[in-house]
Amino acid sequence: MLIHDAFKTATRSLAHSKMRSILTMLGIVTGIASVIIIMSLGDSAKLYIVGQIQSMAPNMINVQPGAPVMGGAPSSVMGITIKTLKARDVEALEREPSITNVSPNVTGSSRIVYGNKSKSTLWVATTANIFKMTNLNFASGYGFTKADETAYKHVVVLGSKLAKDLFGSNVEPVGKTVRFENITFSVIGVLEPKGSGMFSMDEYALIPISVGQKQIRGIDYYQELNVQIDPAYDTAFVKTRMISILRASHQITDPTKDDFMVTSMDETLNMLGNIMSIFTIFLAAIASISLIVGGIGIMNIMLVSVTERTREIGLRKAVGATERDILEQFLIESVLLTMVGGLIGIAFGAVIVGAIYFVLSTFFSIGWIFAFPISAVLLALFVSTLSGLAFGIYPARQAARKNPIDSLRYE
Amino acid sequence: MIEVYDLQKEYVEEETPTRALRGVSFTIGKGEFISIMGPSGSGKSTLLHILSFLDRPTSGSYKFQGKSIDDMTDQELAKVRNKDMGFVFQSFNLLSRLTVYDNVEIPLLYSNILPAKRRTFVEEAVKSVGLEDKLHIEAGKLSGGQKQRVAIARALVTDPNIVFADEPTGNLDSASGLQIMEILASLNDRGRTVILVTHETQTAEFANRIIRMKDGTIESDQAITTNRVRSNLK
Repeated sequence: MLIHDAFKTATRSLAHSKMRSILTMLGIVTGIASVIIIMSLGDSAKLYIVGQIQSMAPNMINVQPGAPVMGGAPSSVMGITIKTLKARDVEALEREPSITNVSPNVTGSSRIVYGNKSKSTLWVATTANIFKMTNLNFASGYGFTKADETAYKHVVVLGSKLAKDLFGSNVEPVGKTVRFENITFSVIGVLEPKGSGMFSMDEYALIPISVGQKQIRGIDYYQELNVQIDPAYDTAFVKTRMISILRASHQITDPTKDDFMVTSMDETLNMLGNIMSIFTIFLAAIASISLIVGGIGIMNIMLVSVTERTREIGLRKAVGATERDILEQFLIESVLLTMVGGLIGIAFGAVIVGAIYFVLSTFFSIGWIFAFPISAVLLALFVSTLSGLAFGIYPARQAARKNPIDSLRYE
Repeated sequence: MIEVYDLQKEYVEEETPTRALRGVSFTIGKGEFISIMGPSGSGKSTLLHILSFLDRPTSGSYKFQGKSIDDMTDQELAKVRNKDMGFVFQSFNLLSRLTVYDNVEIPLLYSNILPAKRRTFVEEAVKSVGLEDKLHIEAGKLSGGQKQRVAIARALVTDPNIVFADEPTGNLDSASGLQIMEILASLNDRGRTVILVTHETQTAEFANRIIRMKDGTIESDQAITTNRVRSNLK
């Protein structure tokens, strides 16, 4: 049978039972639409989050104390305090020409008090460099300076949410004083809100490194270093430079004995991206269960159709159709059903994804990114076609193997 | 054209074997018009199925146009059915939602003839049964006699050498039945071999040879030299 005739025969018999064909397709339509929606939204979320982080901390490389653990958490997370990152490391890194800024920090949590209001918060003691490095803007006031650090000035910069929680929206925080860790701090600046990204400082209190490290904690090491690199240099190059600087500073010759871990923002972003992709794939896999249900629906209807058309099959065989002709005819029918279902599902998914984009960007003014990955579309088409073949083969074989004599007698 | 020798066919139905054919031998020449008669259960339908390749015998030999069917694959048999054989059934077996044109075209779909040529063949076949004005009407809307004429057009569309008709008048009133038999007789007049299965003597007498079957064997095989019915028609 010519392929053109096979298609004509198949479309004609599907068109004869329009309602049934549409209902049968619904399963595939829903399945494909949900896979498309999940994959698109996953991509959008990934782009959005990665974009947010990137905008806050470009060209950053992070140094954590403790040996690098492959695939595990840094030692600080495990509750082990490692005291190897010190002032000489910061000085050594600052001498490196490919590095523009180094910002060490020490953190602690405390209850911060203003008047009769108080709030449990995380304070970050750091250097003035942090304001240059992380694109932090001030809603009011200004940041502390290097002079404030050396003078042990009791000044604090508040995150936007923290400021609002303590002062409300009618009081200007700059010029007021707050108290935590038994020290009275003057508020010199309030940061602009940054949203709920990973590097958001909205709920933090920033104080000079000297006050946090020496006066409050009484330690001579840092908990973390953040390094900003000269964009003219390659991140990977700077990373290797940093590793050798830190090894020299720590007098380490055997690389397996490193007592620090250097992670570039690129790597973090990649890792985050990978985690999000895995998550998306996982969700899409769950959504594709509905495709199996849809496929079973197709198989069911095709079996009914084969039984109903027993006489037709018998006649076609009597006038010269081979088993292969019959098999092809029914397979084309089921693949057409799932392919058209897949296309409708893709279109439907696109509409939903577009609607979500519209709602988020118009009504919630979120800088949502419209993503409709071509890979998802191709995958959807492939999967829907494949499900037509997989779930159509059994009914089609049943049809092809029918005995023409019995089929012609079938009532 | 057809040579069968000692054909046997056994069915096993609900564990009891039934011997539908118990040694049937005959030859049919080109251009013959044969009626196979017999009561139900005599094996006439089984014989027709074997002759038309819809079934294979349990034992015995069958040569079609000099070639033994034992040497032919299912695909080759399908090809011969398509090219050399036409079928007319008691219950018409038309696809009622397709038009007359589409029904008649079905055998051509399996013969790899290009669509442009097919159109001529279909139109000629439909014209030969006198239904050219019904070409684009759904088959389901036709009368019984018209349906059977469409079925004959479908059998003729591939220009077969042999036409098998299984009780073609069984579901028709006598006037329509007569019309169908006239068409079959005229096919035979133009050189085609016609093999007819029937239990009506009147229908059978259109043939020039009648094979009577009983209990899976041939009871009688007689030629009709002066064909009463056909000379009456003329």
